[in-house]
Amino acid sequence: MKFLRFFRKKSPWVLHYNAGSCNGCDIEILAALGPRFDLERFGVINTGNPKQSDIFLVTGPVTYRSRERIVELYSQIPEPKVVVAVGSCTATGGVFRGMYNVEDGIDRYIPVDVYVPGCAASPQLIIDALVKGREILEQKSREIEKPLRLFGAIETVGHKLSRLNMAKRVNDDKD
Amino acid sequence: MSWVWIVLAPLLGGLLYGGERVLRARMQRRMGPPLLQPFYDMFKLMDKRTLIVHAAHALLGAAHFFLLWLTVAALFLGWNLLYIIFLHLFATMTLVWAGYSVKSPYSHVGSNRELLALVAYEPVLILVAVGFYLGTGSFEITAILRDQSLLLQMPLLFVALLMIIPVKVKKSPFDVVEAHQEIVGGVEVEYSGLFYEFLYMARFMEYLFVYSFVYLFGGGSHFLGASLAVGAFFVVNLVDNATARVRPAEMVGILYKIALPLALINIIGMLL
Repeated sequence: MKFLRFFRKKSPWVLHYNAGSCNGCDIEILAALGPRFDLERFGVINTGNPKQSDIFLVTGPVTYRSRERIVELYSQIPEPKVVVAVGSCTATGGVFRGMYNVEDGIDRYIPVDVYVPGCAASPQLIIDALVKGREILEQKSREIEKPLRLFGAIETVGHKLSRLNMAKRVNDDKD
Repeated sequence: MSWVWIVLAPLLGGLLYGGERVLRARMQRRMGPPLLQPFYDMFKLMDKRTLIVHAAHALLGAAHFFLLWLTVAALFLGWNLLYIIFLHLFATMTLVWAGYSVKSPYSHVGSNRELLALVAYEPVLILVAVGFYLGTGSFEITAILRDQSLLLQMPLLFVALLMIIPVKVKKSPFDVVEAHQEIVGGVEVEYSGLFYEFLYMARFMEYLFVYSFVYLFGGGSHFLGASLAVGAFFVVNLVDNATARVRPAEMVGILYKIALPLALINIIGMLL
């Protein structure tokens, strides 16, 4: 509805997930939420619950351990949703690029809307990214958005369902 | 006239909650959200895709809100105080059932803590009602509001009521029920979209419920009642900003060791 669409940008609730980050970007996100930069003046709340959030803030190069969680958390956020990749690691792998235990960036697994550069990304940049993110949030429709690849438990379930013709796997056409 | 207030109760509660968020931001020396932020949140939640675990879970959440609205309506209409307290208890129980009806462990822990909080604050709430009965000879709110102020007769009950307000409106130091960083909101963890909105609005109703109780201490003087409610609002927010969360067992311990004896001493004093 046109009338309700306006309020999406008035209260973007944030889910913050650390995908193996060095905690530099996490501290900057906390600084942006704190009294000095005060993200709450845009109506941002750090919910910690995927089912009630709109913006997915991810930090860190995606380690093998965190891939499953990222895909699962992303699938649990109800549409419309926006993904913000905070920091160089999340965008490209950063200093960890090419290491044996990380993926290079999250855009192999979930579609990203806003990339924030910097190691660590400064609170000003994070605020800019969230302001951009809520503009994108206003444009988005309520169509279901899928992760680029399934992983872990979700993949097992998806595989079973697709074998029974009850669902179509996300990366069927790519395999 | 009171019907208008009952219909407008969610709006009133929303303004109260928005005002509280602004006040809390000012206490922490930051700008804070706009005053109408709760309404923005409500409209946004209406626009989200709603994920439902199962129908009973979602409907119990809605029932929680509507029962609380009924409780607040009963307060505004001036019904029997005991009846209102037990109606409120019923509203809380629907939330507890909703919490137990899903598989999420956070939801179960939230329900357990909700019951624990219930055990901790309910005796004090009932003793406050008993105090009003001893003072005015009636449980009817209309009778209590016609009489003169009972604040001087039951000061300790007032202190006990102030101590249980943080449990009810989920403020530090007694916010273990919600505990946003530990159990991700407790019972509300599996709600989303439209049905989370009911729980979000239920919070407004809790605010109206507890602060109306404070208002009753003003008796016939509306000015005294209103200033007591505003004063309690400030004190609760100040304490919220100044303290950390206690553990569930400590919460029950503190309320049983301090609030309940204070209330009992006051009741005994009124009987003698």
